[in-house]
Formats: sequence, structure tokens, C-alpha cells
Amino acid sequence: MGTRHFKGIQSTIMAAFSVTSLSILLIMGIVMYLRFSASARQEMIAGTQKLMEQAGEDLEDYLIGMRRVSDAVYYNVIKENDLSSQDQDIQRGMNLLYEANRDDLRSIAVYNDYGSLLAAEPVAWQKEDPDITQQDWYERAMGEMENMHFSAPHIQNLFDDASFRYYWVISLSRVVELTDKGTSRLGVLLVDMDYSSIARMMRQINVAGSGQYYYLCDSNGTIIYHTRQMQISKGLAAENSRRAAAYKDGVYDEVFNGERRKVVVNTISYTGWKLVGVIPYQAFTSGMFNLRYFIAIFMLLIAMMLVFVNRIVAVRISRPILKLDASILEYEAGEKPAIYIGGSQEIRHLGVSVQNSYEQIDQLMKEIVREQNERRKSEMDALQSQINPHFLYNALDSITWMVEGERNDDAVFMISELARFFRISLSKGRTVISIKDELQHAKSYLNIQKVRHKDTFSVAFDVDPAVSACCTVKLVLQPILENAINYGVAGMDDCGEIRIVGKERDGRIFLSVIDNGMGMPEEEAGSLLTDDSRVPKRGSGVGLINVNKRIQVLFGKGYGLTVISEPDEGTEVIICIPAVPYTEENRKILEKGRLFGREGAQGMEEIK
Amino acid sequence: MKDNKKIFILTEVILAALVLFLVAVILWEKVGDDRVRVSVVVQDPDDGQWSAFKYGLKMAAEDLGIDLSIVSTGGALTARELEELIQYETDNGADGIILQPVPGSGQSDIEQFSEKIKKKIKKKVPILLAGAGPSRIFPTIGPDDRQMGIALAGELLGDQAGNTTEKVLGILSEYTDPEGVSDREQGFLDGVRDAGVQIRWSVSSRDRKEREEPLGSLPEVDIVVALDDVSLRMAGEYAAAKELHGALVYGIGHSTQAVYYLDTDIVQCLIVPDGFDAGYQGLTEIARSMGHPFHKMKDRTVSHTVLRRDTLFTEENQEIIFTMSQ
Repeated sequence: MGTRHFKGIQSTIMAAFSVTSLSILLIMGIVMYLRFSASARQEMIAGTQKLMEQAGEDLEDYLIGMRRVSDAVYYNVIKENDLSSQDQDIQRGMNLLYEANRDDLRSIAVYNDYGSLLAAEPVAWQKEDPDITQQDWYERAMGEMENMHFSAPHIQNLFDDASFRYYWVISLSRVVELTDKGTSRLGVLLVDMDYSSIARMMRQINVAGSGQYYYLCDSNGTIIYHTRQMQISKGLAAENSRRAAAYKDGVYDEVFNGERRKVVVNTISYTGWKLVGVIPYQAFTSGMFNLRYFIAIFMLLIAMMLVFVNRIVAVRISRPILKLDASILEYEAGEKPAIYIGGSQEIRHLGVSVQNSYEQIDQLMKEIVREQNERRKSEMDALQSQINPHFLYNALDSITWMVEGERNDDAVFMISELARFFRISLSKGRTVISIKDELQHAKSYLNIQKVRHKDTFSVAFDVDPAVSACCTVKLVLQPILENAINYGVAGMDDCGEIRIVGKERDGRIFLSVIDNGMGMPEEEAGSLLTDDSRVPKRGSGVGLINVNKRIQVLFGKGYGLTVISEPDEGTEVIICIPAVPYTEENRKILEKGRLFGREGAQGMEEIK
Repeated sequence: MKDNKKIFILTEVILAALVLFLVAVILWEKVGDDRVRVSVVVQDPDDGQWSAFKYGLKMAAEDLGIDLSIVSTGGALTARELEELIQYETDNGADGIILQPVPGSGQSDIEQFSEKIKKKIKKKVPILLAGAGPSRIFPTIGPDDRQMGIALAGELLGDQAGNTTEKVLGILSEYTDPEGVSDREQGFLDGVRDAGVQIRWSVSSRDRKEREEPLGSLPEVDIVVALDDVSLRMAGEYAAAKELHGALVYGIGHSTQAVYYLDTDIVQCLIVPDGFDAGYQGLTEIARSMGHPFHKMKDRTVSHTVLRRDTLFTEENQEIIFTMSQ
């Protein structure tokens, strides 16, 4: 029963549906996740690029603004005025520009080629000996006179600030042409940009939490702004800025300190600075952490639903089959339930077929039982016919009459025939005897009947010798002969004739009892072998029916009696039986009744 | 049939349990997003001397994802006020505390105070002491005070080029008794012991203030040694006002004002403890303790840097000034 549960159709359907649907679901989930994650990654990179473009533009605008300030100071203030005579105008011009940009500027200063301060805004005390010529911005300006130079962030070391503050600035320096007492000489214009303006811009795009960050470095990889600038300086953190500085604008994959990350590079015009966006792969996954969970929950819910639907489908498909199976099991257990017919067309058809099969089996069983009963009944009838008291009384009356007439030889003959007749009738209780015995039985009967009827009819036997050695059901000729005498030749005056002919043809034996009596119409002859009582027939007809059934019970439906009759011409009753050689073995096989139905046919083949 | 039903119900129950588990995980993640909070309680946190320290704390907080709360004390607190403040902070969800003990307390007072705090706080909150000497109760973070004293002495002797026998020194500190300052003083004295210098006075600026005694009224010395930032700034102010009788100033400090005095040649040499590192390492240590319940916090020592006027604006030193300027 256990195996039955495991291999049950419902389990199989459920398992097959579930495995298939869950596999598809799993594949869909993975594909969906990969698709979403790739899309999210692309979006994140695109968002970063967009943000960086915007930030880059802001930075460029800021730097362009500083360049414009520098240009304005140079072309509108310094070049237009002589330092010796128009220093007030220069100071005023510088002041105007400083005030207009003071949010982003720390100071504007002009130095001569010896590093001496000529003008500065806001006006402040210069430190004692700040050694301007040794400062990086000155050296770079004097080193490449044709260019403007943006320095790295540094502490402004120029002016004395009594508030004890030190400002972090980015210096924009350039060589300028000064006019002092009408003489042209070189100088350096310094515009110190407040680093906090750039830091503020960078802080705006650096939102903590995602792991993604942006930094700014110059073309050498020196960091200008980084969210972890101090940690990097102190060796607590590291940044791959030198490599980033070498990148062209674009998106790059790199592994730094064992961490995979995407690097987006955007170059800031005029300065060669690189705005670098770093997206660690961890940031992609951390952003998708909840997405994973949501997809997992979604898949689990779908799985729950699929299992539920699969269960319903499996139950609906398997229920009719299980009901059919249950009804068959009950049937097999001996109960007699109605076979389940329901469900789909195929299962309904199956139910109908099974039901028909069972009905046929029932029918066959009943038929077998009925045939067996009939066989028993016919045997009883045969026995009854063997002990016909009237026949015995007549025979004994005839013997008595012979003895009284001192016809002792005839009496002896009569007694002998009667004894032979009964001996064969009994046949030690056998049902099957040889045709030879059957013919002998018929002869004895006819001899007795001839005495009884004072030889008013003649008897002739025309039997092939080969026929005598075959099997037959016993006492098949006697009822026919009885009919032939009683209804054929009994009323005739010495011209009655009964012929018994035996032939073998095509494996069959045909024993015919032919009389030349009054005969009968064709329909009457046809009804002799039926139980139809509506048709009038000679006598009860039971004798012939009995013989016919006994033959068919033993040899099959293909054998039996045939009655051919014609009014005033006579009647011929033909016994058709298979030509089975009479041996003890064949007799026993036939006695066991193994030749009933299909087995009978098979058995007949074996015997043949 | 019954087995099928059982398997079906079991499958559905398992799937439902998984869904509930994942929902719980998501909710827990959201709840877990509440970041830990560390409160920093130092005396007068708005004072410039804490700039580098606070910057270090801020950077560490950003790196470690910690909410930092620097408690504004509005001035010096008494030990009792400090206790109440710590109690208030822990009651209001502080997961860790970085604490500067009450200045002016002796080492025994600090131990006593630490013991009291430990008993008072019911919640298990890691506490790290900053700006204090070594403690048996709580771990500490700060510079090696003795080494800074020795380094200051070494710089001073180096400047005098062996000509120190006739030099008269005055030692100035904000407090005379906390372990940190006394270690610095001891280190300095050890450093100059064999140099033959004469220590004319060693005073607490707070005591002097309380007595309303101006620094200029102290006996004249050749060199004033300031052992902490407050004292150095005071000495710088007097020197800038030329009220220090031409005495050279050496000191330990960590404010831009101290740097300014070095930059303007008022202070000859400045020893700067790494305040940024103290803040960064302190918060990192406390975060480590919060992340791992069995982690035992250790005392941590940060480095110090010798600043001279001629090398004040080197790249490395600019970074030190940068942290002070935040």
C-alpha cells in the first residue's frame, strides 16, 4: 500500500506539475533578478555619469568664474593702470572684483618679479618674509608664463590673520605685465579661491550611505578633494587616484585593495582635474539587497499559489481515476458497487469499458452456471430415459408373451437384447462411450421395439467402420429412434423403414436416423430443437432437445442435431459430433468437461 | 490521499514560514538601519583645541556609519554635573561614550569618578576616556604625555645648543594635578635634568587666574614652557603683548592660535599631539567594542609632531593645521 501511495497518480501529477512550475519559476526569478540587477547597475552608472556631468559643469563654471576674475583684474585693472601713479585705482578695481566674488574668493594679490606684494584685496598685513618666490604657485607661474595655473589645495601662507585662522585655498596664478612708472615689468597675479567652495560642491554630490563616492584629483593624481582625504594622508585609507588620473573620460572596471569597483571619470576643462566617481560593486549589491528579498518573497508567494493550483489540478484530474480505481478495488474485494463513470471523456470511456467487461464476465459466469445446471439436468433426463418404466413393462410383457407361446429362443434373444440395452445404458456411469457401443445400444433398442411392434418396420445400418471407433455422448440415438418409431413408422403397415447411417467427413461424424414415415412441415421440423412451446410439435420434443444440448455441452455449440423433414416423405435427424478417437485418455478428457466454451475448442484441437 | 494532503499542507506551511521569515528579515533590516550613537562629552567642546579631535571623530563616524553626538557643555562642568550628563546621554540612547574626566581632578579622583560612573550606568555602554592619564577602570586614548614632555625638552635644549646652565625656566600648565599634565612635566623635567637649567616656577594658570595674578607678575624667566594648549595660548598672548619680559616660549598645544604664535615667531617650538588620530582611533575602538561584545577595549596612544616655524607649511604639517582648522 505504501508503494501505491508513492506512485499514486495524484502524487505523480502534483510532483510533476510542481517540479516543472517551480523550475520555471526559479529560472524566471533568476533571470528577473539578473535583468533587474543589470538594469539597476546600468541606471546607477548612468545616474552617476549624469551627476558627474552636472557637478563637472558646476566646477567648470566656478573655475571659469575665477579665470574671469583673474582676466578682469589683469586686463581691466592692472593693464589699464600704472602701479606708481594709479595704485588707488588698482586697489579700487581689485576691491570691486573681490567684493563681487567674495563668497568664492579668499584673496586677490599682485606680486612683482622679486616676490614683493604690490597690491592685495582684501587689504591685509603680509606676513614677515613669507618667501613668496619659493611658493609653488609663484614658481609655476614664472615657470610657464603663457599659462594660468591652478594649484593643489594648500594653506594660504601670505597674510597675517589676527583671528588665528588658516585658510585652505586653491591658487590661480599667472604671470602679468605690470606698468611701473611707465616701465613694463613682469609680475604674478594670484587669485586664491576658497577651497570650501569646491569642498561644498563636492559634498553636495557625496551622499553618505550607498558606499558610492566622488573625489577630485589633478592630472598627477594628487587629491584635491576626497571624503576621506585626511584618512588617506594618514595611511588609514587609500585611493587609486594616480591610476584614475591616467584614465580618459569614461567608465572603467578596476580592482583596488581587493575590492571590485566601477570608476567613472570626467575631466574638468582648463585644469586637467579629474572628477572621479567610485561605485564599489558592494554598492550595487547593497542597493539590490531588498530587491533580492522582494523577489524571493514574490517567488515564494507564486510558489505557494502554484502548489495550491497544482494541487487543485492534480485532484481534479486524478479524482475520477481514483474513484474508478476505488470502485474496481471494491469490486475485486467481492463487493458489487456500480463502477464509477465520470470525469473526462477518456476516463468515462474507461469506466464504461470496465463496467461492460464486468457485466460480460457476470453474464458468462451466469451462463456457465446455467450450462452446468442444464448439463446436470440433461444427465438426469438421460438417466430418467434409461429407466423408462413403460418401455421396460412392454419389453417384459413381450418376453412373458414369448415364454407363454413357448418361443423360448425369441424370449432368450429378447432378454439378451434387453440386458445389452441396459448394460450400455449404464456404461458404468460413463457419459462418453464409443459409437460402436452406441450403435449396439441402438440395435438392441430397435430389436426390442421390433418385437414390440411385430416387425412392422425394417431397420438398416449403414455405418462406416471407422466411425465406430470414435467417441460419442451416450444414448443419443435411442431418443431419436424412439421418435422415429413413435411418430414415423409406427402407423405404417410393414413398409416402415428406419435407416441408421454413419459417416465421417472433414473431421466430423454424421450419424443420421432416417425414417420414411409421414414427415412434417419444415417449420415444425425447425422447432423440434427449440423450447418454444407456441409451435406445435410431435410429443414434447424434450428428447431431441435433451440430446442436442448434451452434445453441445460436451462438444460445443458447433455440434448438435439437425432435423430435415418433408411431409409424406420422412424425416432425417442428423447427429453431428467431432471425430474423436475413442481412447481411455480422450474419454477422460471429455468426461472432465474440459471442452466447454473456448477451452472446449482448444481441447478439441488438442484431441485432434 | 491523506499523505498527499499532508505533504501539500506541509509544503504550504514551509513556504509561508519562509515568506514570514523574509518579511521579518526585511523589517529587521529596517529596524537595524538605526545607527548606533556615540556621545562625546568633553569640557567646552567648542574651544579650538578640540577641532582636530572632533574632525577625527567626524571622519571616523562617517567611515563607520555611527551617529556622533558631541554634547555641548557650555563651559567647564563639575564632577556631579558630568555624572548627570552621562546618565542623561545613556538614558537617551547613547551606545557608547567618549569622555573627558573633570579637569583639575587628581588621578585618584578620576579613578573614583570612573568607578562611580561605572556603577551608575545600568546599561552596558562602552566608555573611553580622552584627555586623561591611564586609568584602571576605563580604557583611554591620547598622546604619550611623558614622551611629549621629553620631546619638548629635547627641542629646547637643541635650540640652546648646550648653553643652558644659566637659563631660568618657568613651567606653566592649565592644571597642576591631572595625571596627563604631571606626566608631561615629569617628562620635561627628566629631559632637562642634566642640562643644568633652573626651574624658577611651575604654576597652574587656573590657580593663578583664581588668585587674579597676571602672568607678567611672575618672576622673570628666560624661557616659559607651557605644557598644554590653554597655557600656551596664554603665554602666547603675553609674549605678543611683550609682557613676558622677552622670555622665549616653548609649549605643547593643538589649536590654530598656538600655531599662529609659532608662525609669528612668538612661540619657538610647538609639540602637537595628533588630535585627529585621537578622535578617529577613539571612535574606531569604541565602535569595535560595540560590534563585538567580547572585545576588550585597549588603551591607545597617538603620536605627536614637532612644529617649527621654518617647516610649518610643509605638506605634512599643512595637514595637521588643516585638521585644526575644521
